Amino acid sequence: MEKEALKQQVKEQIVKFLNLNTVSPADIKDDEPLFGEGLGLDSIDSIELIVMLSREYGINIQDPKEGRKILTNVNTMVDYIEEHRTK
Amino acid sequence: MHLHQHICISPQQTNDDIGLDNITPSVDGKLLAIEPMLEGVPPGMLRRMSKAVRMGIGAGLPLIKNNEVDGIVIGTANGGMEDCIKFLNQIIDYDEGLLTPANFVQSTPNAIAGQLSLITKNRSYNATHVHNGLAFENAVIDAQMLIGENPGSSYLLGGVDEISSYNYNIDLLAGWYDKTKSNTELYTVASNATIAGEGAAMFLVNNNAEEAIAKIAAIEIFQSTDKSEVESRFKKFIADAVPEMNNTLLISGENGDQRFLPLYATCEYAIGSSIPVVRFKHLTGEYPTASAFALWLACQAIQQQSLPDHLYKYEHNLTQIDHVIMYNQYQGKQHSFMYIAK
Repeated sequence: MEKEALKQQVKEQIVKFLNLNTVSPADIKDDEPLFGEGLGLDSIDSIELIVMLSREYGINIQDPKEGRKILTNVNTMVDYIEEHRTK
Repeated sequence: MHLHQHICISPQQTNDDIGLDNITPSVDGKLLAIEPMLEGVPPGMLRRMSKAVRMGIGAGLPLIKNNEVDGIVIGTANGGMEDCIKFLNQIIDYDEGLLTPANFVQSTPNAIAGQLSLITKNRSYNATHVHNGLAFENAVIDAQMLIGENPGSSYLLGGVDEISSYNYNIDLLAGWYDKTKSNTELYTVASNATIAGEGAAMFLVNNNAEEAIAKIAAIEIFQSTDKSEVESRFKKFIADAVPEMNNTLLISGENGDQRFLPLYATCEYAIGSSIPVVRFKHLTGEYPTASAFALWLACQAIQQQSLPDHLYKYEHNLTQIDHVIMYNQYQGKQHSFMYIAK
């Protein structure tokens, strides 16, 4: 899958998995922080995203420090997915 | 126990600008509650809430934001059942693998009282009663006992239930609901089913009679499938609890299911034809904690001293409402009487 198409897919999955009723995939910028500022996600959302990576891409994140880096923004998520996806 | 403030979220215009003259029609045998705007709730919390929680927060939060309460007592048969089923389905779909927390956290019945507590940082008594069709009544009894033990204390008391697709389908297959039935002809089309509903009604209660809207003077609950037991208990309840019948209204939980008409009729007959009968399930549909709406309606009747004509079963000439007696039953098994006095 092309990188841009994968980014779009990840954004759609973020909106769906986190039930972001007031946000559309187009509103999420590639380099915008997902947590704190930017999208303003919280710790429960991080678990939801880890579950999403496992279900959709077969990626199991074991190390919380690693998870924090991977979930920085859409770009970091997509880079990690391209490298480690098993499905 | 005195009732001081109330908020009701229902399929009708019962929140903010209350208007019961126009009836919102049911769609496919369901009456869905009009959701309130939730102010003061963090967006992260809001987007994870099930409808039951949103309705509970919408009705309860304004009451406890404006009043200090010594506890939160909620009755709900099912809580956020829709999210509960989502969570259980995930267990199957993902072969008991990694599961997301939000659906589970929000699906338990005590999520409503829990979220109210978290938002307002109220760390006092927090209880949820889940006795199906008597869940709200058990919450009432709990609040009564708390006030009895702690005179001067105040509580948020409420009843909440949502229509979940899972429960609705089970109840539809069991013959409790009829998709073709409408609330506009709920009492005139004879059939062995009713329409589904949902809602939340919350009350601020304490033992202070000053400036109270009304008081719950007596309550009785029981389980029975025997009509004669309903009749004998109702007669005894009136004899023991109701000192006078002048200016009295009977609120009946009649729901258009003809199998249960004899139960309501026996109470109407026992109380006498001079007492006007008010029905409300064409406004709310049937749900396990519909008696919370009935209590809100009793408060409205006493406060406004009148109710729209479509609520009355027969023509009446009641000009003053000082007492309200309620009879409600759920699925022919769980019965409750309440006596509300000015």
